[in-house]
Amino acid sequence: MSKKVHISPLANEGMYILDTASWRTERPVINKEKCIECGLCLTYCPVNAIIFDEDKYKITYNYCKGCGICAVECPKKAIDMTPEGGEK
Amino acid sequence: MNYIEKLRTSEDMVTPGMSACQGCCGELVLRRILQIAGKNTIVCVPPGCMSGAGVVGWDYQTGMKIPVHIPLLTNTASFLSGVSQMYQRKGRGDVNMIAVAGDGATADGGFQSLSGAAERNEKMLYVCYDNEGYMNTGFQRSSTTTKGSRTSTTPIGEAINGKQQPSKYVSLIMSMHALQYCATASPSHMQDMVAKIERGLSESKKGFAFIHVLAPCPTGWSFEPDQSIQIAKKAVASNMFPLWEKYNGNYYITVENKKPIPVKEFLQSMGKFKSLTDADIAQIQQEADTKYETLKKLASE
Repeated sequence: MSKKVHISPLANEGMYILDTASWRTERPVINKEKCIECGLCLTYCPVNAIIFDEDKYKITYNYCKGCGICAVECPKKAIDMTPEGGEK
Repeated sequence: MNYIEKLRTSEDMVTPGMSACQGCCGELVLRRILQIAGKNTIVCVPPGCMSGAGVVGWDYQTGMKIPVHIPLLTNTASFLSGVSQMYQRKGRGDVNMIAVAGDGATADGGFQSLSGAAERNEKMLYVCYDNEGYMNTGFQRSSTTTKGSRTSTTPIGEAINGKQQPSKYVSLIMSMHALQYCATASPSHMQDMVAKIERGLSESKKGFAFIHVLAPCPTGWSFEPDQSIQIAKKAVASNMFPLWEKYNGNYYITVENKKPIPVKEFLQSMGKFKSLTDADIAQIQQEADTKYETLKKLASE
């Protein structure tokens, strides 16, 4: 078995991941009827919570901090910020 | 492939959960740069907001999917020079060498090593995300802070009314070195920013590339987190942060402002400038106009 040599050091206990979803007080929800699939929300999301899947833009809530940039920047105002709590 | 397709198909290299504030443009800039750069990259993040937010890792855990180093505040560019030289010697000139530093590590403490690396034309891309202060330690003033801004070391009171000195225009100073590529970018103009990052990465294989990116900070500048991109848009529209680039010795203004909005609109959209008087605003307006005129003269030659 050959020994692997790295020029740069590597961490040996995996990745540092913080549960940033717990910060959220409001969650963004896309209104599918108004959305024109322009993709501006994806380019401006600081957390990369918006993904492109099966020809549609979708918001994932695992790490979304609820900053609301997507709702403000949407040219068709198709994203609403709805208060957290109630249904998961 | 347009820039939106590029961004939606490229892999995110940074940890999904990092502790940057809501609406942080520094985080946005960091993720976009590394999405464009891809896996074949070495990153250097000096002390600042981004390393404080956990992208350099903590306790034997890493914050990125690619090798990341934390140098000191003062030696980012010289540290990366050494790494870059070693990779050239090993015959790995294809690896992207990127430094993502805040304005403190660029314009204040790290300036001599940065200037030295630019003068030696080391092969790297140095990106400065400029949030106009030392944000991770509680918004102390830096040399790129705009005049009149409230910071924790230049408070508003009887003795002084915010920062007393005009800001240092670090991108223009850097462009006066004989470097390979120099540009300013704003996250609000994403297409322009992606093009500049791509160009910077390809030029960094030949020599030193520097990109100065504006990163509005909701926590320090006192505005709502959802307004980050709007503030960046206003900074460009009011000529507080003109977008230009320099390569092959020539300057080009990339986003031309035919009808600039008054800087008052930019200044009054956030809390850190709330104590400005009309005389202060007039002075800042004059400085912004002078800056843009200088750039126009440089670009027309």
